[in-house]
Amino acid sequence: MTGAGRFQLFAALAFAVCFAGALHAAEVRAKADVTCQPTGTPLQYDCTIRLLHARTNEPLSDVALTVGANMPSMPLAHNVRPVKATVGTAPGTHEARIELEMLGDWALRLDLTGKVRDRVVKVLRFERDSVGPATAAAKPPSQHKH
Amino acid sequence: MIDFAQNSIDGIMIGSSYGLLALGFTLIFGVMRRLNLSYGPSIMVGAYLGTLLYLDFAASPIAVAGMTVLGAVLAGIYVERLCFAPMAAGASIASMVSSFAIWMQLEQAAILLLPRHTYPFPPLTTGAPLMLGPFQLRTDHLIMLACALGLSVGLQLLLYRSRFGLALRAIIGNPVAAHLVGIDVKTAVLGAFAVASAIGGIAGYLVLATDQQITPMFGMWATFKGLIAMMIGGLGSIPGAILGGLVLGCLEAHSQWYFGPQIRDLSAYMLLFVCLVLRPGGLLGEAPTRETMIDRRRA
Amino acid sequence: MDDYLIGVLSNIGVLSFLALSAYLLLLTGEISFGQQAFFAIGGYAAGVATALWGWSLTAALVWGAATGAAAAVLVGVPTLRLHGLYFAIATLAFAEMVRLLFELFHYQIRIAGEWVGPDGSDGFRNIRYIFENDVGPVQFLVLIYGLLAAAVAGFMLLERSHLGVSFRMIGEDEVLAEMHGVAVARYKVLAAGLAGAIAGIGGGLYAHLTTYIEPRIFDVMLGVHSLAYGLIGGLGTAFGPLLGVLIDIGVLESIRTLAGYRMIVFGGLVAVLLIFRPRGLLDEIVVHQIGRAWRRVWGWIWRSA
Repeated sequence: MTGAGRFQLFAALAFAVCFAGALHAAEVRAKADVTCQPTGTPLQYDCTIRLLHARTNEPLSDVALTVGANMPSMPLAHNVRPVKATVGTAPGTHEARIELEMLGDWALRLDLTGKVRDRVVKVLRFERDSVGPATAAAKPPSQHKH
Repeated sequence: MIDFAQNSIDGIMIGSSYGLLALGFTLIFGVMRRLNLSYGPSIMVGAYLGTLLYLDFAASPIAVAGMTVLGAVLAGIYVERLCFAPMAAGASIASMVSSFAIWMQLEQAAILLLPRHTYPFPPLTTGAPLMLGPFQLRTDHLIMLACALGLSVGLQLLLYRSRFGLALRAIIGNPVAAHLVGIDVKTAVLGAFAVASAIGGIAGYLVLATDQQITPMFGMWATFKGLIAMMIGGLGSIPGAILGGLVLGCLEAHSQWYFGPQIRDLSAYMLLFVCLVLRPGGLLGEAPTRETMIDRRRA
Repeated sequence: MDDYLIGVLSNIGVLSFLALSAYLLLLTGEISFGQQAFFAIGGYAAGVATALWGWSLTAALVWGAATGAAAAVLVGVPTLRLHGLYFAIATLAFAEMVRLLFELFHYQIRIAGEWVGPDGSDGFRNIRYIFENDVGPVQFLVLIYGLLAAAVAGFMLLERSHLGVSFRMIGEDEVLAEMHGVAVARYKVLAAGLAGAIAGIGGGLYAHLTTYIEPRIFDVMLGVHSLAYGLIGGLGTAFGPLLGVLIDIGVLESIRTLAGYRMIVFGGLVAVLLIFRPRGLLDEIVVHQIGRAWRRVWGWIWRSA
């Protein structure tokens, strides 16, 4: 088989792999509200996640949630092993306890499986006593911030 | 017009700290012909130790400065021993990657020491800025400028009026010949690292005291500012380091004023890139040839 | 297979593209700290293609490779006269420029009532191709490693080809290569373009794997890492950078119990490794020895059969 032929065969295989399961698209999109509180232990946080349908704002039920996290600036070195969240009391809520490696900005990865398959990423700033959104405006003006 | 002048003044002030960082960088580079990616982080370790002194023992600015310099020197020696001394003459990439690995190590060590994102750093002086006509001159900025000029003069003296400086200049010129003539290259290089780290420590202290806060990003920031200033001014040139720093400072002050902080950083890198493509020797350095750019043996 | 393990293996696969990209340039004798820029460009390009323009993944990856290659050539041409550290710093400057430009890059369109697209510092989220088209984690893993195998096969072919020999000649001594009739400038730009394409594909895969990318990810740390993988694993063969990624991520994962001290341990290990093996584990000497031993074993088997 020629080089070009090999390439075409491979491209066809890759294409097939991409579309093998594309018989039905996952139409439901999720969005999440996340609040985290520090527990007594350093670098440990209890997070409450409310999962909603992105368009209708209804709480999503019958989904299993796994929570992972990594630092945006070094996602492969600083990451947290995903933990399974437990279902909370209010509809569509889940609870998870995460242990981080250091303080700072973390991108929480919420993986949904079950009735809806999706992933939502939320970037939060984890400080010792509080957790808040990691907006750029939150950084005080200084020479050596970027 | 007044804005332009004020920005230029501010730019020169902050540029003098960049120049100091570049001084240390250029000394190491001239002697080793390798890039030390741990330069900023080793200064940061010193600064964190100084911060610790300030937070836990309410130390005076002088004590904090001393601790910063001491910590920077110790960290610098650690880096030299681990990343540069044991490497064979041709293994420059290995040295640089090793210094990068130690960068990560030092950064994490600093964060373990002080986990929060921001800590206050003791100010250099308190009090209102001086007014020179319509222009504002902060006293701590003036101290920084004075230190930069003083240290560069001091370094020139060290290099041209002392035996140690003579040894360093010989090594910068031709390390093999220097060795053959009987100069203890290894010790001299270690000494150069210590001096460079000390200068870096002073530079770091001055920047942080002006900023009055310290974050873990400082290490990377210092490395890059020093690197950019050094390349613009010309590798291996002491007046070039200071000039490069001043140019960088002015460019940043103006671009921040007109376009904001992101464009400020972007313009710094653009200047560096354009400078390297058009005039790799920088403003005051000698134009490198293909020979001088390549480390003769393979990495 | 455990989802977590699939995730780790996927990360290893995607990063291998970046490692191969830096390795290719190293073959031509140039140190690049900036391959993460093409990784970023490929990622954003492929992400925009599937999430905003509705392209298929294959088309998006090709687009990512093309934009990566184009950007690499854009940088490669003006830096032809630079070598060694000067070249390295120039690539670093370019990569940071790209990252800062992405911080300012806003391109969002409204799809079904939602804003989709890169949003500067807030990142590019909802690259949901794998969810919208029901591509499972294992399927994506197969895709990653399939493409990676193709890339490595390409490298193996390259090593034996005229082009590969020319690359290594340029890496050894440009002037000598030129005197031997090698069109140095053209080949260096070609190498840059190929490396950019490889990084671009990797970036496209990364963007779809994680579904969320932001400019901060593509910083200098990633760039020096891409070079470090080759240094750790060995510069003698295309498997070297792959081994480097495997070791890097593998060691990082296994010392997870050391929580806050991971970087300290890991940094120290790399520094010590480089003292003893400055060209990595599978450096040219080891590869040659393995080749020789293999030929001996093969010859023995052949003769005694």
